[in-house]
Amino acid sequence: MSPEQTSLLQGTLDLLILKSLRAGEMHGLGISRRIQQITGGTFVVKPGSLFPALHRMEEEGWITAFWGESENNRRAKFYRLSKPGMKQLEAETKRWSRISLAIGQALETS
Amino acid sequence: MPLVAKARSFLRNLFFTRRVDADLEREVQSHLEILIEEKMRAGMPAAEARRAARIEMGGIEQVKEQVRQKRMGNWLPSVLSDCRYGFRQLRKNVGTTAVMIFTLALAIGASTAIFSVVYGVLLRPLPYADANRIMAVFEVTAQGQPSRLADPNFDEFRDQNRSFQAIAKYDENVTSVSGGVQPTRATVAQVSPEFLRVFGVQPMLGRDFNEDDAKKGAGRTVLVSYGYWRQNLGAATDFSQSRLTIDGAEYSVIGVSPDGFRFPADVDLWLAADVNGEGQSRTSHNYSAAGRLRDGITVEQANRDISAIARRIHDTSSERGDYLLKDGMVLPLQDSITGPARLPLLLLLGAVGFLLLVACANVANLLLAQMSVRGRELAIRSALGAGRGRLIRQFLTEAFLLCVVGGGLGVLGAFWGVAGLVALAPGNLPRLENVSINIPVLVFAVLLSTAVAAGLGAFTATRATAGDLRQGLADGGRGETGSRRSQRVGQTIAATQIAITLVLVVGAGLLGRSLLKVLEVSPGFRVDKIVAMDLSLPWVEDPKVKAGHAIFYADLIARLKQIPGVRKVGAASALPMAEGGLADGMFLVMTQNEVPKTLQDLAAVSQQEERAGIADFCAASDGYFQALEIPLLRGRIFNESDGANSAHVAVISESLARERWLNQDPIGHTIEFGNMDGDLRLLTIVGIVGDTHEYSLDTPPRPTVYVNLLQRPSPAITVTMLSDADTQSVTSAARGILRDLDPEIPARFQTFSQVYSASLRPRRFNLILIGFFGIAALLLATAGVFGVMACAVNRRTREIGVRLALGASTGQVLRMVLGEGLRTVCLGVAIGIAGALALTRTVESLLFGVTADDPLTFGGVTLFLAGVALLACYIPARRATKVDPMVALRYE
Repeated sequence: MSPEQTSLLQGTLDLLILKSLRAGEMHGLGISRRIQQITGGTFVVKPGSLFPALHRMEEEGWITAFWGESENNRRAKFYRLSKPGMKQLEAETKRWSRISLAIGQALETS
Repeated sequence: MPLVAKARSFLRNLFFTRRVDADLEREVQSHLEILIEEKMRAGMPAAEARRAARIEMGGIEQVKEQVRQKRMGNWLPSVLSDCRYGFRQLRKNVGTTAVMIFTLALAIGASTAIFSVVYGVLLRPLPYADANRIMAVFEVTAQGQPSRLADPNFDEFRDQNRSFQAIAKYDENVTSVSGGVQPTRATVAQVSPEFLRVFGVQPMLGRDFNEDDAKKGAGRTVLVSYGYWRQNLGAATDFSQSRLTIDGAEYSVIGVSPDGFRFPADVDLWLAADVNGEGQSRTSHNYSAAGRLRDGITVEQANRDISAIARRIHDTSSERGDYLLKDGMVLPLQDSITGPARLPLLLLLGAVGFLLLVACANVANLLLAQMSVRGRELAIRSALGAGRGRLIRQFLTEAFLLCVVGGGLGVLGAFWGVAGLVALAPGNLPRLENVSINIPVLVFAVLLSTAVAAGLGAFTATRATAGDLRQGLADGGRGETGSRRSQRVGQTIAATQIAITLVLVVGAGLLGRSLLKVLEVSPGFRVDKIVAMDLSLPWVEDPKVKAGHAIFYADLIARLKQIPGVRKVGAASALPMAEGGLADGMFLVMTQNEVPKTLQDLAAVSQQEERAGIADFCAASDGYFQALEIPLLRGRIFNESDGANSAHVAVISESLARERWLNQDPIGHTIEFGNMDGDLRLLTIVGIVGDTHEYSLDTPPRPTVYVNLLQRPSPAITVTMLSDADTQSVTSAARGILRDLDPEIPARFQTFSQVYSASLRPRRFNLILIGFFGIAALLLATAGVFGVMACAVNRRTREIGVRLALGASTGQVLRMVLGEGLRTVCLGVAIGIAGALALTRTVESLLFGVTADDPLTFGGVTLFLAGVALLACYIPARRATKVDPMVALRYE
């Protein structure tokens, strides 16, 4: 585990999962790898955080789950973004941009 | 849409738990396999890939548990499983569980029962519309005490106040009423016309009083209570022809009050006051008063208003003296009714609260002891992924289970307890009929149980989950049962129990010694073998009719003396210790030829303070002193020579002689006391009799003037018969004689011992309850100390074994263990004494003959309690010396 890996900020995990699924349906490990990839290795999501989040988001109705075949023909549980999930992603994105902009400004002013 | 999805998830999680779990299991497994594949593709050997994947994955069971905790509705099944688990846990230790439940049931039940009395008497609003707007109105005496109102003062309050929309005066007495189905002794109130309006009450039938009913010479009118109307007027809707003879005068019935309205106290009939004209004196306090505040007026405003009027009267009145008002005040009616009961009831509530604390401490200690055995179980659960929150919830659930069962049993017990309390309660406790287990009381019981459960649960949970739980696995759950720290917590709890118990037992001790002191007081009269008969004749001013009363009394007494077994017969206007009691007033010392013609003449004399005196006024026959064995100290009591037409005579009590005629002989002096019964003839003092405690044993005897009942008949009397025959036969014989003389006069019989013991009931009531709480707390605290010490010995079994093996004597072991117990006991006793010194001060007014810091009580209770507590330490300490070193060491 490289020292640069940052622990996830509260609430950002949902956003990252939604963002990953935007690219298409994926199983748990796929999502985890995808997050690692799109954040340039900054975030590594462990199963202990990933699965509770996935199940919670499924219950919220943002993502739907189904059993499918993995690239190596293994049965795996796949997740897909739902319509409410799309909306949630937009809302979360806006919120996040606002926060990061504000934090950025705050840090720039000396 | 999301809502539907949520509901679906919730139901699925609830009803298809197994399928959902299997799905999760498969998902986690497939995740692991894909991970392994990934590693192998990257070139790892199979075994190493498997290992790396497992490390990256973390604990599979823990992952699954984390998902389960996040699930929708996860709380419901987990609460159910907590409950199931809790039940199993409690069932496993049936004995301990039973003790804990019984302890909680006792404490919650007792608290609920006492609260029901506090609620019914103190808190529950009076049963009138906007009852908090009804005020009691008082004059304030020169000594600063609230007192009843004189008629002219009431009139000025009524006419000049700007605070009340209705204000009324009232007075009640028990009298003979005929004209209904049968003659009865009824409680009759004289009220001014606005009376019902003050209480927001309308007659159920007929009309209310109006201003004309209260005018002098108006036709006499009466309102009857619902119950009286049903029982004595046959519930007739047309009562226009109904007439009742009350006190010898005829009244027409004008209305029926609604069911349940009996103010001021169990009233059957309300008469319009003042039809015979009003009292003119500003110093005869004939009436109580109550008023309903105008909208928007506060109690303080009304207080200032009445006070201003009262002070104006004080400043401008021609009358003077101690009996003239100095100020005025208002008080919410509820407070004025419940005021005297407040302190004793709050005392009981505090005492039962202490009992509750001791009980909770006991249960907490038992739970703590149990927990030390459960360390291993907690360690395993936490290793399997149970979070700290989940474990805390487990303990809360168990505490709730205990309190639900304990509280439930407690409330059941309280139903029975309340019946007992009401039976035991003194008659002067107001509003006792309101006391029951009702909704607010049940709400209290539920809240109390919840609070106890939350407290106990939080306590055990924080104790159990403090520190590193997994340590329990490393210890292997052997040897050390409970850490040193939990032992110290246990000892602190036990010390607290001892402290609280000491306060309670000291309180009970002080009340007990007060009762003994009260019983030591000689009442000044005999109590046993006396049958009392209450009866009343019409209240009249006409001297001729009054003379008739005197003849009637003389007749009655003479005939009662013929009853076999009856030795002495007397009569007086009121018995000592009886409800109601005697009226007090101002008498004047006169010279023999100075005979006043009117009450106004008296007022002039009363300006000379050195000639005035204050005493209770009692009309009594000579037989009264003989029957009650009130000793004659000097001079003579009444005899046949004191006829209706000879000079009126009086006998005074010793304390009056001492107070008013210090260093003089009162015999032969003349006094004027006609303001009490309207007869202005002078009284010549002929004798001095012993003091009697008229009101209660714990108030000093009051100076009393006795006049001759046969010269100055009072309308209501109590006949006293000293008899060797049994009460039953005397009662029926006396009833027959009275019926023979006048069938229209009803009578009430009781023995004087009943009257006398009723006067001690408030003291007995407090003592019995506090004593009961004290004993219960003592038992609980003893058990608590014993438990903690037994636990300590258990914990140190190995250590003691080693010490014994290395040559320690049993005496040394005993000293070591006892020393530990002694510290706990001393700490508890010290805190308890400090607490008791601080708290007993608040109940000083309930004590008699002992001070709040009575050294005998404090010393005795401390020694006793310390002795019992040390005994509770000694038994486990003895067991410690019996430890067999071989067994203790092999226990490894």
